[in-house]
Amino acid sequence: MSFQERNISASLVIFSLILGFYLVRVFQMIQSESFNLTNMVRLWGIVIVLGIVATIIGTILTHIGSGIIQAIKTGEEPVIEDIQDERDHLIDLRGTRVTYIVYSLGVFLSMLTFALGQSPLVMFSLLILTGLAAQVIGDISRLVRYRRGF
Amino acid sequence: MVKYRINNQIRKLRFFQNEMTQQQLADKVGVTRQTIIAMEQGKYSPSLELAFRVALAFGVPLDEVFSYDPETESNRTI
Repeated sequence: MSFQERNISASLVIFSLILGFYLVRVFQMIQSESFNLTNMVRLWGIVIVLGIVATIIGTILTHIGSGIIQAIKTGEEPVIEDIQDERDHLIDLRGTRVTYIVYSLGVFLSMLTFALGQSPLVMFSLLILTGLAAQVIGDISRLVRYRRGF
Repeated sequence: MVKYRINNQIRKLRFFQNEMTQQQLADKVGVTRQTIIAMEQGKYSPSLELAFRVALAFGVPLDEVFSYDPETESNRTI
């Protein structure tokens, strides 16, 4: 598994966990009838901060973990191959395209719920949800392209 | 319509260059080893520039490394 694949896998795990956390929190709020603007805005803040911090920490840990595994395997000073070549760029571009397509559908769906009479709270909840889902699906498509080729 | 695919002789050329490793070729042409592996397996078609760099690394013309052939059962990889 290349360095880029490990990075994408780390991102996939992180965003899947954040997506799970977000869904659980929203369902908890709905069940306890505390699904209001204040709680939702707080949850958005938590999700965004978690996304940024976890991505940075995840990348650093992936670097360190790869180095340790490589050092154990070879018994030499680890060389982290973190260069990106044309194939990596192409896979990244195609993954980003998938992310944008999914997110665009999510934005459309959110607007549709608003147009059909749902509250703005539902619309913004769906926006964050589809944003996270788009990132996860984009990462999956990148991994599939690395594994299957194109 | 007949489907065509890009085939390559990278594995054979590496063998004739004193069993050059994938990493050595990757370093010569400035890509990762994974890209060389994907190219050898026919899972990735390189850009024209990378194709020329690979040919230069082996010191042979481009058409000795890459060919554009009709797809058959035997050369289909995906």
